[in-house]
Amino acid sequence: MASLLRPLYWAVWVSPRRRARKLLQFAQVEADGSRDLVRAAELTSDAALRRRLFAHARDETRHAALFRARGLALRTTLPKDPSENSFADWIAPGERGLDDVFVEDEDDSALLAFIHLSETAAARDFALYSSVLGHDPPTRAVFNRILRDEESHMRYSLAELDRIAPGRRRILLWKARLRRIWKAYLRLAMALAGMIAAVLLTLQYFILLPPFALLAKRAARRERPGWTVIPATGHDDLDRQY
Amino acid sequence: MISIGNIEMKILGISAHYHDSAAALVIDGIPVAAVQQERLSRRKNDASFPLAAIEWCLEQNGLEPDDLDAIVFYERPSLKFDRILTSALRSFPQSWRAFPKAMKNMLGEKLWVRGIISSQLGVPGRKILFAEHHLSHAAAAFLTAPCRHAAILTADGVGEWATLTVGEGVKRSDGSTKIRLLRELRFPHSLGLFYSTFTAYLGFAVNEGEYKVMGLAAYGTPNRVDDVRRVIRRTADGAFELELGYFDFHSSVESSFSQRFVDLFGPPRSPYEPIDLTSSEGRRFADIAASAQRVLEDILVDITRTLQQETGLTDLCLGGGVALNGVANMRILTESGFERLFVPPAPGDAGCALGAALFADRIHFGRPDRDVPDHPFWGPAVDPDALARLAQEDGLGAERTDDDRLIEEVADDLARGLIVGWMDGALEFGPRALGHRSILAAPHDAAMRDRLNRDIKYREEFRPFAPVVPVEHADRYFEMPSGGARLARFMSGVFPVRAEWRDRLAAVTHVDGTARVQLLDAAMEPRLYKLLEAYGRRSGMPVLLNTSFNLAGEPIVNSVAEGYSTFRRCGIDLLVAGDCRVRKRGQTQETRLEDVA
Repeated sequence: MASLLRPLYWAVWVSPRRRARKLLQFAQVEADGSRDLVRAAELTSDAALRRRLFAHARDETRHAALFRARGLALRTTLPKDPSENSFADWIAPGERGLDDVFVEDEDDSALLAFIHLSETAAARDFALYSSVLGHDPPTRAVFNRILRDEESHMRYSLAELDRIAPGRRRILLWKARLRRIWKAYLRLAMALAGMIAAVLLTLQYFILLPPFALLAKRAARRERPGWTVIPATGHDDLDRQY
Repeated sequence: MISIGNIEMKILGISAHYHDSAAALVIDGIPVAAVQQERLSRRKNDASFPLAAIEWCLEQNGLEPDDLDAIVFYERPSLKFDRILTSALRSFPQSWRAFPKAMKNMLGEKLWVRGIISSQLGVPGRKILFAEHHLSHAAAAFLTAPCRHAAILTADGVGEWATLTVGEGVKRSDGSTKIRLLRELRFPHSLGLFYSTFTAYLGFAVNEGEYKVMGLAAYGTPNRVDDVRRVIRRTADGAFELELGYFDFHSSVESSFSQRFVDLFGPPRSPYEPIDLTSSEGRRFADIAASAQRVLEDILVDITRTLQQETGLTDLCLGGGVALNGVANMRILTESGFERLFVPPAPGDAGCALGAALFADRIHFGRPDRDVPDHPFWGPAVDPDALARLAQEDGLGAERTDDDRLIEEVADDLARGLIVGWMDGALEFGPRALGHRSILAAPHDAAMRDRLNRDIKYREEFRPFAPVVPVEHADRYFEMPSGGARLARFMSGVFPVRAEWRDRLAAVTHVDGTARVQLLDAAMEPRLYKLLEAYGRRSGMPVLLNTSFNLAGEPIVNSVAEGYSTFRRCGIDLLVAGDCRVRKRGQTQETRLEDVA
């Protein structure tokens, strides 16, 4: 599968402008992930796990700085382009961090299972990105450095999972996997629903709204600029939504 | 008006869905709890329905939702929908891309507030009321202010239709209260959106970076005022209107300024690139910030001067997000003719939760006016025992001593140049740390400012830090105009540092020689007051640098666990929570993952 995706990822990463933008986006995701890990550390009552989570959060902050520095360095080599867009950014996702999890709602073992899977996925993706970045050694070096950390995160999360929930590793990881699949389905379904809604609303906009738009524009032309006097009555009635 | 007489009423106010959601509880006419959702969810500017904040307010007072007499939402959702739909129609067909997003946004959740509150809290719909957005701002400003009769000005981005209102409030001797808004400016003509557009243009996040524009303005020269006045014109009746050709916020979701705006002011700043004030590009951005700031101030001064002449009143209550602009507030105080200016600790949308609840109590239910305690401390309290436990678990020594000794020793530490995380009592309501969740440090040299920016706050170097000083000593160090003490109570004004002290207050003196000073009254925060006095005995100056206890991108800390985690992650040397202290012990407590994996 990875070898099949290589040409696609190569195409995504070959453009320096897109590369810079994606690195800056990754920096944001890593920073958000760090905040989630800090929150998890604040909530756990297990002192040893708290220390691990803080250390992990520090790594994520460092990754954010690495991605950001490299992204900014790449940007300085590019001419300014105000029409820069984010087409096809979804093809090569960054680390998802814990953005899919409400840290407050999870117990320590479920959270660790989620972290482990998340780091495994990130390590796989980053290894793939690194493999197509032969033409940009500094960016490849950033991915390789972060990849080493991700592998360390995979190990500690598994070790902690075994310590906190001995003998339950398999079931917890499977539960986490199923939840990730369910959340991916929800994301897809929401995106699809959003697209359908956008199409229907856009059709309504062009079919139904023009006569009302004419009336609204005519009313707007009649409005005087400046102050509008507020009538003395009516505002104190709190039962109305209108 | 429904007259309820003297029956004790429990009223919950809610603000939600746009930015900075919050809940506030008023019992028998007095606020008893108020907290922003972000402080509990730990998501900065959390705009979601503030269930955690509501639950905390109720639990804190031993109440169930059923016990509430009324729940007041801070604006009228259908009227807001009317504005959004009408705006889309008026900018047809340019609004075709914004329309589906706006409709999905409103129809998905924001229009059905009564149902959401009813289902989330399990209360009947008849208990749910709606106050207009700017009336909520007006009530938050006037009903919490220690004054009887005042003019009122509210200004923000936009509420339902109104963006700026002026009016008057009176608390009569018979206990009745009246707030009357006289006139308003309506969307899209908005001072808040005007300033936010410059915020976006200068590469800062809207609803978050406006104070960065204010800080940056001090580095610039207002030499683009004529250009700024082309995008915001004064009208014959003393108001203003935006020249909409320069803006896109009313028809687009991608950008708030148009190509014409860029043609006028030049290319916008990329949010990714730092501002280099030594470069011509950096100076251009600073000059534009200074010019936008100047025009905003001029308009506010003009409107308030007219309001003062019209009402003949001496007190002005300011509400809405624009009231966070301390530089403008200072000019209003000194140039409008008003003698006193009241800005509540939470003038933005979060404060509307409290304003809406108080408005319902005083005006909808016609209950007698009560003096509202004049402080911002309505949130959860710190638990020093929790800090002792956390420190012990991490092998750090927690010291517990009597209060007098603790204050003397912390003053020693501050005098030695240590940076102190200071947590005390109940959390502040509003965006300012006013002494209960603060980072404190010596204010004397610029190196401290640079250290705070570099090792703790991780933020732009052009942003200033604020000082805190006992109210009795303020005049010695700062040029406080008449009425300035009130404005500085909740850090709502920016005042000149006296020239002879600027060198010794270098960490808190902005490049233009001003500071956003907090004047501390012993009755409001006695422990910090004692600490200032103790520090003054050592340094000769009872002034400390006071900045909010948070890291960049995070909300101000609430619990001890959050304070402790912030302490662990940055260069704070000492953490104090109540009577408990923890010191950092080098880096020995740091754990490297490579060691444990």
